[in-house]
Amino acid sequence: MTHTQNKSSALAQGLIVFIFLAVLTALEFGIAILLNSIVLLILVALVKAGLVAYYYMHIYKLNQEDHGEGHDSYAYKTGTNRLGLWLFLLSDSFVFGGLLVSRFNLLGMTRPHLNQLLGLAVTVVLLVSSFFMNRAETSIAHGDKKGFLNGTLVTIILGLLFVIGVVGLEWQLAKIEEVIASKDVVGGIFYMMTGMHAFHVLTGVILLFTVWNKGRKGLYTAEKHWGVEAATVYWHFVDVVWIFFYPALYLIGAAIQLAA
Amino acid sequence: MKKMKPIVRGLLFLLVGAFVGYGVGLGLDVLVGGRVNFTASIAGYFSLLIGVALFFFGLVGYRTITRGVTWQIFGTLGGALFVTGIRAIMGLKTFVPPFLFTEPAWVFGGLVGVICFILGHGVADDWIRMARGVDVPEHREDAPGWEKYYSPSLDHKVIGIQYTVIALILLVVGGTFALIFRTELASSGLQFLTTEFKLFNQNGLQFYNTLMSLHGMIMIVSILLGIAGLMNYLVPLLIGAHDMAFPRLNAFSFWIAVPAAVLLLSSLILGGFDTGWTGYPPLSAKAPLGIQMFFLGVFVAGWSSILGALNLLATVLRMRAKGMTAFRLPIFVWASIATSIIAMTATQLIGLSFQMVMFQRLFGMGFFDPAKGGSPVLFQHLFWFYSHPAVYVFILPGLGVVSELLPVFVRKPLFGYKWIAMSSLAIALVGFLVWAHHMFTSGMNEYLRVPFMYSTLLVAIPTGVKFFSWVATLWKGKITTPMPSAFLFVVGAIVVFLMGGLTGPPNATVSTDLHLHDTYWIVGHFHDTLFGGFVFPFFAALYYWFPKATGRRMNETLGKWHFWLMTPAFFTLSLGMMRIGLLGMRRRIADYDPLQGFDATHLVLTIAAFAIALSVLIFIINLVTSLKRGEPAEGNLWNSRSPEWQVASPMPAHNYDTPFEVVGEPYDYGLPGSKYVEFAKK
Repeated sequence: MTHTQNKSSALAQGLIVFIFLAVLTALEFGIAILLNSIVLLILVALVKAGLVAYYYMHIYKLNQEDHGEGHDSYAYKTGTNRLGLWLFLLSDSFVFGGLLVSRFNLLGMTRPHLNQLLGLAVTVVLLVSSFFMNRAETSIAHGDKKGFLNGTLVTIILGLLFVIGVVGLEWQLAKIEEVIASKDVVGGIFYMMTGMHAFHVLTGVILLFTVWNKGRKGLYTAEKHWGVEAATVYWHFVDVVWIFFYPALYLIGAAIQLAA
Repeated sequence: MKKMKPIVRGLLFLLVGAFVGYGVGLGLDVLVGGRVNFTASIAGYFSLLIGVALFFFGLVGYRTITRGVTWQIFGTLGGALFVTGIRAIMGLKTFVPPFLFTEPAWVFGGLVGVICFILGHGVADDWIRMARGVDVPEHREDAPGWEKYYSPSLDHKVIGIQYTVIALILLVVGGTFALIFRTELASSGLQFLTTEFKLFNQNGLQFYNTLMSLHGMIMIVSILLGIAGLMNYLVPLLIGAHDMAFPRLNAFSFWIAVPAAVLLLSSLILGGFDTGWTGYPPLSAKAPLGIQMFFLGVFVAGWSSILGALNLLATVLRMRAKGMTAFRLPIFVWASIATSIIAMTATQLIGLSFQMVMFQRLFGMGFFDPAKGGSPVLFQHLFWFYSHPAVYVFILPGLGVVSELLPVFVRKPLFGYKWIAMSSLAIALVGFLVWAHHMFTSGMNEYLRVPFMYSTLLVAIPTGVKFFSWVATLWKGKITTPMPSAFLFVVGAIVVFLMGGLTGPPNATVSTDLHLHDTYWIVGHFHDTLFGGFVFPFFAALYYWFPKATGRRMNETLGKWHFWLMTPAFFTLSLGMMRIGLLGMRRRIADYDPLQGFDATHLVLTIAAFAIALSVLIFIINLVTSLKRGEPAEGNLWNSRSPEWQVASPMPAHNYDTPFEVVGEPYDYGLPGSKYVEFAKK
């Protein structure tokens, strides 16, 4: 771990990135209402994903020099672990890619009729959780255990809130709008995509809880906290997936009214 | 009483377990069905599982793998009972004949069973400890003797052998299935798989379909595990690493393949399925319960493949010895990289497509049901996006073995090293763009046909590069005489794969494929590619590296019997298949019209199939006897330049005692004074 920034500027950077993401999300929503341009929506999603991947997931660390340390050093092993994690994310993104392909193949330029406000709300919740997770990781990287524990705890709560929002609320509301899994393919795609994503959020929450618990026992230090980094990167990845799923389900195309 | 050999005790226990399981299952079936059915699925299911559990109990006692299988049984039952309980509360059907549980109960139970296997076996114990914050030592001593092969060993060489053994077991199982339906096909009309035939709630025709479908998938899983075995054993040795990058993940990848194999086999018993290995809906949406076990088994085996590939890529990228730059890597390592790129990414798509059919059956989600707005063609796209590149997963390591061994036996530098290295990558990457050539007759958009035809034909170029290199390497080579079995199989692989390659373009070309699609021509073609690309190189690799792994050589005479029996038999088989295919023999069917005049050819094909089986039997006898009685192997047996042959066999845990440095080109055979690796002084 190289410290090129001090703690407060690192935290400030996280905040600025978050503000950018929030503005882009608002912009996205506006584009969907006013222009309904799929090209612009994809562009915004790509920019958002790029911001998260670079500033929150620190993808550039994959390219970091190893400073000639031996294969048995903690730094070298962390580099290997980081590579393994990113390979896993690459592999996992093929599942989500396959789901997106299925969605556009089957539904084309239509989308299920869903509660827009709730969709935006859960999106914001996930985005805010990413912001807090970034704070948590930055804190432990600078040896601030308390900041780390609090940030992780807030992230866990927001993550659970997201799952409740999607599975507990949205699924019930969608049912009223006649988006039903067994009725037609619109329902099938909607529950498959949100379900698969919610499953990943849940695994992310479990990972975060594990990390939080180990952090409570004081097992992470500013120098050695690979577990935190792994859980953080995974969490942001889940956010990136939603950055694409949200427009695909809520914004792109024309809503089909299924309720008679 | 004299102490029994563990294997004898195991087999004895297997019989007892199978008998007891059969009784239990029969009793349950009578309770639910209300009548006695001696061939009930559930009786067979318990017979298989309890038999396997007791077999391992006899072998190693109640620990590691025995615990795993036992937990899998209880996990499956527990999961199934859990869902059944919920269904009872919801007022739905609970216990139904003929499979005791309902389909959702079986699916959930199957999944819980896999998780329980992992927990019971103990391969994830370290991770659980780590998650709880308990300190885990990085290295772990293996159990002495045979027991390490049943336990979650972290040594990549042990895991490589575990993979290879289970691959051989599945090869035998899948081959046996083929022999059964091949016998039925020997003449027209139905001989023994008739409508009167009853087994596991299937009649003869249904059983034929199940065997035919499972032959495909069991062989595929066997190949995946076989290449994983080779890559696991060899890659760390070849690049000078002390183990894989993630040893625990490596053990985990292997051990989830075991419950996956159990699930796959249980699909045979739980009603079977009739879709072929491709599992296309709408047929798979209506197939019997067996298809769900099949989907689940493939899904879990897929994860084994994904995680193994991930591990391999990380190992090659991060664990190379000093001086092992990209273009000094052994060709086998390049092939493994190419294979792993596909396996790590595309495998997700077959998992997803099978999962979607699974959900369509369970929850009525209409992804592939046109009545609900779904599209069966979408399934084929998702499925072939993996399943075509998958054939390159199967063959690339094998072709790597050919390139690796050829220069050793002809004592000449490998011709065009960089071209070969890059051709593997090119095949892998082009392989991502060719999937729809399986779908020329599927009713997909016609404008897709031509681009996919050209992308498919493009594969012939990097493949051709390999052939040019092999021929040029053989040219004026000093061929080792008498030719060792390993070399025979290398040459066999080249010839057989050439046939497989040449029969490919007619299938890639739309105009001819429309006629060849779904005929025995295709069956002949892909058996050629897979024998040339996997089976022959796999045997070559086993003959070549068996001494490295065990310190003993395999019997050369039996090896030659194996080769000279298998090769002509295989040529007969594949050429015969292609012949009747061109004349209009439809693939996958149990019977054919005698007026078509295929009886004689089919009889020859069946005899050839039995000859191949006999040759494999000879190989297995050779393997088992050589373990104890083989001639001791000392030193650099094949006069190889590769680092693993510069040290004594078998190698200890963590491989090389002293690290080596790469100082020259890997394949400069016959060039005086050239050196590949240099070991550090102790």
